[in-house]
Amino acid sequence: MNHVQALIDAIGEGAVFALIAVGIGLVFGVLRLINFAYGQLIMVAAYALAFPGNWPDAASIGLAVLAAVVASLVMERIAFRPLRTADPSTMLVATFAIAYLLQNGALLQYTYRQQGGLGDSIGTLSGLNQAVTIGSLHIRWVTFLAIGAGLVSLGGLALILTRTSIGLQMRAASMDFRTARLLGVKADTVIMAAVAISGVLAAVAAVVLSISSTSVNPTTGFQETIFVLVGVVAGGIDRLVSATLGAFAIGFAIELVGTELPNSGATPFTSNVYMPSVIYLAVIVVLLLRPAGLFARRGQRTVERV
Amino acid sequence: MRGTKRWGLAVALALVVAIAVAAVGVTTASGAQSAGTIKLAYVADFTGQMAPFDNPALTAAKLEIKNVNAKGGVLGKKLVLLQCDTQNSKPDVSKSCVDNLVGQGAVIGLVTCDVDAATAAIQEFLNKNLLTVSPCIGTDQMGPKRFGAKGKLAFSFGNVAQDEGAAMAEYAYNVKHWKTAITVTDNVIVYFKNIVQAFTSRFKQLGGKIVDAESFTAGDKTISSVVSRVNSHKAAVIVTSDGFADWPTEFAGIRSLGNNTPIMNSWAGDGTYWYPKGTKVSNYWYVTYASVFGDDPSPQVKALIAQMKAIHQPPATGAFVQGSAAIDGIVAAIKSAKGSTTGSTLAAIMVKFHNLPTISGKVSFSPSLHSVFGRAYRVMEVQNSKPKFVQLYTTKKLGTL
Repeated sequence: MNHVQALIDAIGEGAVFALIAVGIGLVFGVLRLINFAYGQLIMVAAYALAFPGNWPDAASIGLAVLAAVVASLVMERIAFRPLRTADPSTMLVATFAIAYLLQNGALLQYTYRQQGGLGDSIGTLSGLNQAVTIGSLHIRWVTFLAIGAGLVSLGGLALILTRTSIGLQMRAASMDFRTARLLGVKADTVIMAAVAISGVLAAVAAVVLSISSTSVNPTTGFQETIFVLVGVVAGGIDRLVSATLGAFAIGFAIELVGTELPNSGATPFTSNVYMPSVIYLAVIVVLLLRPAGLFARRGQRTVERV
Repeated sequence: MRGTKRWGLAVALALVVAIAVAAVGVTTASGAQSAGTIKLAYVADFTGQMAPFDNPALTAAKLEIKNVNAKGGVLGKKLVLLQCDTQNSKPDVSKSCVDNLVGQGAVIGLVTCDVDAATAAIQEFLNKNLLTVSPCIGTDQMGPKRFGAKGKLAFSFGNVAQDEGAAMAEYAYNVKHWKTAITVTDNVIVYFKNIVQAFTSRFKQLGGKIVDAESFTAGDKTISSVVSRVNSHKAAVIVTSDGFADWPTEFAGIRSLGNNTPIMNSWAGDGTYWYPKGTKVSNYWYVTYASVFGDDPSPQVKALIAQMKAIHQPPATGAFVQGSAAIDGIVAAIKSAKGSTTGSTLAAIMVKFHNLPTISGKVSFSPSLHSVFGRAYRVMEVQNSKPKFVQLYTTKKLGTL
């Protein structure tokens, strides 16, 4: 296959992962919480996209945003807030529990609908799954959308963080939460705002993912989130930009390695079946050489990796 | 603060109860055990990825049990079906299900339609020396090959992949005159892999050429590059065996690039539930056990579909007939064993089945193949998202793995 086509596909996958990383990075910045349940927010939004059937695209996207924001706020209220002062490992386990609870909830709804759990079809913005053909190259419109959405999300978040009062409070909270509270920053408001924004970003990710996957199932978003979290840590979790770049890098690498490795072979580096081994080996090497992350600033201290 | 703690405790308790209820959802189709009954334990995935295949098979099995019981049962004993949902084939839940139902007196096990998904339940049944039957596992691994000596008690009424893959190859080469093929293997389960292997061996044997062989593992996030690589080759047909989450992505992806090459799938691609909303499904062929679209050539199959529709459980895929066929096979074995339900006795009879008539066709087993071979397939064609039965096709020679 054309190597340029492989690069285009890799950029597309990287852009989707970067988009997911923005939401994860924001919550980590404010709450110091690695949210494994973020993928299930994407799943909730994707089910909302599938739910209305023949609604106009704008309406179903609106419903997806609403569903993801409500789900993220509920998650924060019933799970994260009571555990806010708990040990980070407790919070981490709680996010795992929520992820599996939501997955199983999605699975059980199929029982009542007496339908298989292979998933529900999504047709929102399905035209963007078509490709532009330039010579022998094919670029799907959704690739442009993923890149655009990633850049707009990152840029928009930067504007909120630097140009608004709530953004300023978020930054203060992320630097030193206790001192920020002593100076009048309302913890609940800041955290709810961050969580709500991450919900919006999860809905955007759900829209982008569902265009190419064309369906949602109980595991939608979960595998992506695992990969993205690895990328975020490898990139440098302490800064939104380095975390996003890390996620982009791992998405890019997965797609490129998967394409370039042959289909058969008995050991790593000889077959794309072993692609995860190759990727995780690369991540280990990166963390050994640059513990603070591949894109972290020189001299930046290593973040506590829970 | 105290109120918050109480509230938190209440939520935690609610979660624990919800998880506990979700963990083992056991239901029984009948009351307590009695001397005049034979209890069957159906441990399968009624909510997860295998549900489109397992649920219709379960419904058909229940209907067949009703028919058997209406005619006086098996040598005077009524069949009773106990069921338990493995919730997307979770191994721990599967084992709990088996222990629970066997504890309630079940003497024969039925399991989900894929050997990888069913392994935990199969092993648990086999460890209890019970005859273990799957309605539609489609590989030669349901037997001694995978489960060793204990596997002598394991059988499937599904078609073995060497037979199904060869049927696809023969139909492609001999009937459609497609001489070149691209294959796409999803490595996630052995059935998917075996179908493509059997197709490849038989297609090459017939003189066909595989111009490109792609593979991925469902969920590995490489499906878009697989689609791009498939699109960069020219062939008369694209052949796969897939029905899980990446399958609609693969199909829609290939078509979104303007590639209208015929695509051929195994029984895994049966049903319409996966049809992408934004893409017409056309130039698509697959083989299956029965057509659920009202045009199956068998009046018995049509009658069974009508029965299932009458109870508002229409089948999503053709595998439903296998639920009925599995019950027929179990009944035939128990009758031959003069009422014994001992696993080894029933298995010794079942392995000698040769052209046993069932609703899904004639069933044969052999010491090496505990899954069905030589049964006629329904070849289906889909154009403009409308599936239709094309013809029956019986494999002339098995493929190899």
